[in-house]
Amino acid sequence: MAAAAPPSTAPGKPRPSLPPCAESGRRPRERRNMAAAAGGGSRADNGYGGQQPRRRKGPGALATAYLVVYNVVMTAGWLVIAVGLVRAYLAKGSYHSLYYSIEKPLKFFQTGALLEILHCAFGIVPSSVVLTAFQVMSRVFLTWAVTHSVKEVQTEDSVLLFVVAWTITEIIRYSFYTFSLLNHLPYLIKWARYTLFIILYPMGVSGELLTIYAALPFVRQSGLYSISLPNKYNFSFDYYTFLILVMISYIPLFPQLYFHMLRQRRKVLSHTEEHKKSE
Amino acid sequence: MKHYEVEILDAKTREKLCFLDKVEPQATIAEIKNLFTKTHPQWYPARQSLRLDPKGRSLKDEDILQSLPVGTTATFYFRDLGAQISWVTVFLTEYAGPLLIYLLFYFRVPFLYGPRYDFTASRHAVVHLACACHSFHYIKRLLETLFVHRFSHGTMPLRNIFKNCTYYWGFAAWMAYYINHPLYTPPAYGDEQVKLALAVFLFCQLGNFSIHVALRNLRPAGSKTRKIPYPTRNPFTWLFLLVSCPNYTYEVGSWIGFTIMTQCLPVALFSLVGFVQMAIWAQGKHRSYLREFRDYPPLRSPIVPFLL
Repeated sequence: MAAAAPPSTAPGKPRPSLPPCAESGRRPRERRNMAAAAGGGSRADNGYGGQQPRRRKGPGALATAYLVVYNVVMTAGWLVIAVGLVRAYLAKGSYHSLYYSIEKPLKFFQTGALLEILHCAFGIVPSSVVLTAFQVMSRVFLTWAVTHSVKEVQTEDSVLLFVVAWTITEIIRYSFYTFSLLNHLPYLIKWARYTLFIILYPMGVSGELLTIYAALPFVRQSGLYSISLPNKYNFSFDYYTFLILVMISYIPLFPQLYFHMLRQRRKVLSHTEEHKKSE
Repeated sequence: MKHYEVEILDAKTREKLCFLDKVEPQATIAEIKNLFTKTHPQWYPARQSLRLDPKGRSLKDEDILQSLPVGTTATFYFRDLGAQISWVTVFLTEYAGPLLIYLLFYFRVPFLYGPRYDFTASRHAVVHLACACHSFHYIKRLLETLFVHRFSHGTMPLRNIFKNCTYYWGFAAWMAYYINHPLYTPPAYGDEQVKLALAVFLFCQLGNFSIHVALRNLRPAGSKTRKIPYPTRNPFTWLFLLVSCPNYTYEVGSWIGFTIMTQCLPVALFSLVGFVQMAIWAQGKHRSYLREFRDYPPLRSPIVPFLL
């Protein structure tokens, strides 16, 4: 059905060469996804792996220099944490309660990631402010509002689980950004970033959930961060219930992010394969 | 009479979706949309966006074919706006919710508070007053939707109704829970605080209503004309001298009044979120006034006199 009848005249004659109206046909032209955006990187992924690459004018020279310094410092920081964990393990002979040996650098460098929200806000990194804020805040929440605040969970093994996942992820991620900014990205780093998340992401999420779960009874008992009625602001907040809601929120969020990263992986790594084949 | 030919292409894929020949030069975009619907019934006119340029502005329903910069074969690009729902439906639903939900908490319907409080009444006068004010506010909004507002657009995307209702209904439940709670604490400064708050609230309700009426009178029934609003004889409209969107200003004022009346933090938070949203809308409206009218009064700010 190629033609519609205009209101006042006899039915119009169909145009012979028109494709059928109903078929939507061709898929939209696929965007070429460049893994190494000059702008330094983006986080659709809670830092565990895939990137949301975009073609954009990169940041200026000063911003690039700053970002290189930032990413190098962060890589170094997380390496410190990694080394700290290994040394503590060797010294203690067991992997329990290693949190204390890296508590300070963990807090410092994870909190430092808040700067990344500003990077997006000022446009020197081509990522969504909201998405980045969400991801960084969730890490900061785990670090301060759960692990730091509920002392009793600091000896839990689940803490080690997410700390290790975060450490490996962040070392790779920040070095990825560093190399990208310098336009010299080794394939190994790109591969690592888009592959290791397959294990690290579930590992980290498990560690986080188990830690929150472990904190629950202590929160209930101490009334941490909770306020109850009556009070003059007519407000109440139950941190225990809040933590349960946070745990529940992982259910819709985790699969979405995970599959997004798997899709990113397919795009980014297969594109590189093509690139390599054509050389 | 020379007829036009119209071809409609998909804005993203450039695929030819439809070809219309023998279209009258005086045909409006609305009529063309109706023709397009005939061949693609799933795309009713309200969800069609037709444009001259794939990335350009949507054409208006009132635009006439021969007044557009097209040759005798016009090419339009089509974007699907997604399932649509009428503004009136959305407004009625999103306002009816808070009205009813608040009353559920006011009457302490079972399962909201402990069983020993079911169907009991608060012993604080301010709680009854707050219920009256809240209910009045939403009844006013429902009546305005039915009898006062003149909408520029007939429809909005369907997903908005879920978003909007979650916002309104959610906050209404949250506020109502605390205000009507058996352990509610009345305002610290007692009757004086409540009286002041009530005065602010009523003043702003009247103000808001006055602005809505003034805006309605700017636009004749069934038209979509846009004019600069000016102060009228009604003193509440004199805020137009300082502000582009005094309806929002008064609305924030009403909620500030309600916050003071109930001394309830969730109400304060609701007022704050509402203010942020309305400030964004006011900025947008202010900017489009400035773009459309060369002689727009320079003294006006979007929502807060001189400041914002």
